[in-house]
Amino acid sequence: MRLPDRVTGLFLVGLGAAAAYGGWQLPPVPGQPVGPNVFPLVIGTGLALCGLAIAFGIGHSFEEEEELIPVEGGQPPPTGRFYGLRALLPPALLLFYVAVADRLGFIITAALIVFVTSTALGARWKLSLPLAVLAPIGIHLIFSKLLRVPLPAGLLPMPW
Amino acid sequence: MLKTLLDAFALISTWEVIVSMLAASVYGLVIGSLPGLSATMATALLVPVTFYLSPIAAIATIVAASSMAIFSGDIPGALLRIPGTPASAAYADEAYAMTRKGEAELALGAGVWFSAVGGIAGTLSLMILAPPLAEIALSFSTFEYFWLALLGLMCATLVARSSPVKAIAGMFIGLLVSCIGIENPGGVPRFTFGITDLFGGIEPIPALVGVFAVAQVMRAMLTPEPPPIPRRKFGSIMAGQWRLTRKYHWQMTRGNIIGIIIGVLPGAGADMAAWVSYAMSKRFSKEPEKFGTGHVEGLVEAGASNNASIASGWVPSLLFGIPGDTIAAIAIGVLYMKGLNPGPTLFTEKASSMYAIYLMFIIANIIMIPFGIVMIRLASHVLRAPRSTVMPVIMLCCAVGSFAIGNNMFGVVTVATFGVIGYVMEENGYPVAAMVLGIVMGTMIEQAFVTSLIKSDGSVLPFFERPIAAILAAMAIGALIWPVLVWVWRKLRREPVPAASPGE
Repeated sequence: MRLPDRVTGLFLVGLGAAAAYGGWQLPPVPGQPVGPNVFPLVIGTGLALCGLAIAFGIGHSFEEEEELIPVEGGQPPPTGRFYGLRALLPPALLLFYVAVADRLGFIITAALIVFVTSTALGARWKLSLPLAVLAPIGIHLIFSKLLRVPLPAGLLPMPW
Repeated sequence: MLKTLLDAFALISTWEVIVSMLAASVYGLVIGSLPGLSATMATALLVPVTFYLSPIAAIATIVAASSMAIFSGDIPGALLRIPGTPASAAYADEAYAMTRKGEAELALGAGVWFSAVGGIAGTLSLMILAPPLAEIALSFSTFEYFWLALLGLMCATLVARSSPVKAIAGMFIGLLVSCIGIENPGGVPRFTFGITDLFGGIEPIPALVGVFAVAQVMRAMLTPEPPPIPRRKFGSIMAGQWRLTRKYHWQMTRGNIIGIIIGVLPGAGADMAAWVSYAMSKRFSKEPEKFGTGHVEGLVEAGASNNASIASGWVPSLLFGIPGDTIAAIAIGVLYMKGLNPGPTLFTEKASSMYAIYLMFIIANIIMIPFGIVMIRLASHVLRAPRSTVMPVIMLCCAVGSFAIGNNMFGVVTVATFGVIGYVMEENGYPVAAMVLGIVMGTMIEQAFVTSLIKSDGSVLPFFERPIAAILAAMAIGALIWPVLVWVWRKLRREPVPAASPGE
């Protein structure tokens, strides 16, 4: 998701302007010179100015090109149209947890998350399958039993 | 004094504290030694564990895990040339070059020994500096707090090794996030868009977990597996360290001092300490040409520096509640949770707790030596753990940990959202540390700012009239202007070149 500075800079300009406008809309506190609107106004303006500076390349010379450490013996990453979307898998799985954990329960949801993540990172089923079984039980034991965090029981409650 | 010390010993001599510290030490060593997992992430994932511990045991886990993780980040740096934590990135090349010369034991031994020495030096500075600064802090008003917090944010932008404009933009994004919620001078919902979960604002800890842990898992999805570490038999780890201590005692001392100074500054941390110390070591060395070929001098200075800054980074945290770095930001959250609210009164009303914290730092750095040696010997096994095993467990810890913090699923949504934000920011060169500190300090800055304006009836003069506020204002504005001056200076240096062309 490497974007040109002009794009990210203009996005920040828009975000800053929206924040400043939203802040300006907030009602002032009667009898006080400053209210909840001052801080967002200042921050939004500052953000918009930074966005402009970034879009026009001001201060770009400070950026040192990150020296790419050659990974010795590593396989070159496969290129494909949808390869970059793999990065969105972890947050998607977290949202899946939010949506499903209450009904399926922690153990089943966690097992699915572990299996998908492990497989996506290159593990064969001989590793990802046992991991999907053992890791949720271990985590449940630590958090629910020892730390008393209430985890959803769902379809497969643990005996403890 | 003696009674307070004995009370402190009693506080840390319980089984809960001992077991917590040992377990957190092992945890910090393992997490820190795995490439890509940072000390901040290790500390962030530790927060739910601290909920049911006593205050002292909770602090013990934070202290031990962060100190150990900063050291053990050196291990993959030396063996794989992949730094385990950002603080080790400054000298990973040097350590790896030593390994290729057959001096892995010397490089790793220097890492253990000088990290422990640096950590103890940092703790001593914490013990010496904190009480007098607490006296000064008692006279602080909202004006001084505003400038101090702003100084912390400015130092955080200086830490970034990317464009300072992008660092400042990251800070503004963090401050913008802190605007969300009902906790503002007017008590009106701000940027909540009608979502009731946003009324309480964005919790810093889930945001931190998202930015440092989830973003890292996202990054792992796109990068190839690191190469397997060759199996090797280590000789004596500590052989030659005493000789190094005598030969490079000046470098060690200078590294300690630099780490302490950078740690005390709010906003700067172990990463900056390591880079500055390594550059300083190279600049003033009698044998600068040896740097880069596997020379131990830089490792001595930088290793002492980054661990020293960990302990001294607690000075602004304990005194003002302003984090010295991202790890301290987490520690402050734990302090508030446990009733040890940061502030100058902490040193009068809860003096034994303060001494307990000092003692824990010293003990953590002392046991770092045997634990570190064992970790080095086991590194080939730990680093052999496939990433496809580690990352799924981290994902589960992110989900359960963020749920545990607020006991609602919105924490998990926050973690996922900030994971994406952190990933995109890192990919485009925006430092996430500046955003995180903006989130943590945003509320404090606004309260100090608005309260100060109310007291002065809208005038800005009182911000500069008070003596301490004037000094802090000059420092904060200086930190802001510094990149501009450097930029202008570089422009002027480039002027003579085109002028010489027509002359030739």
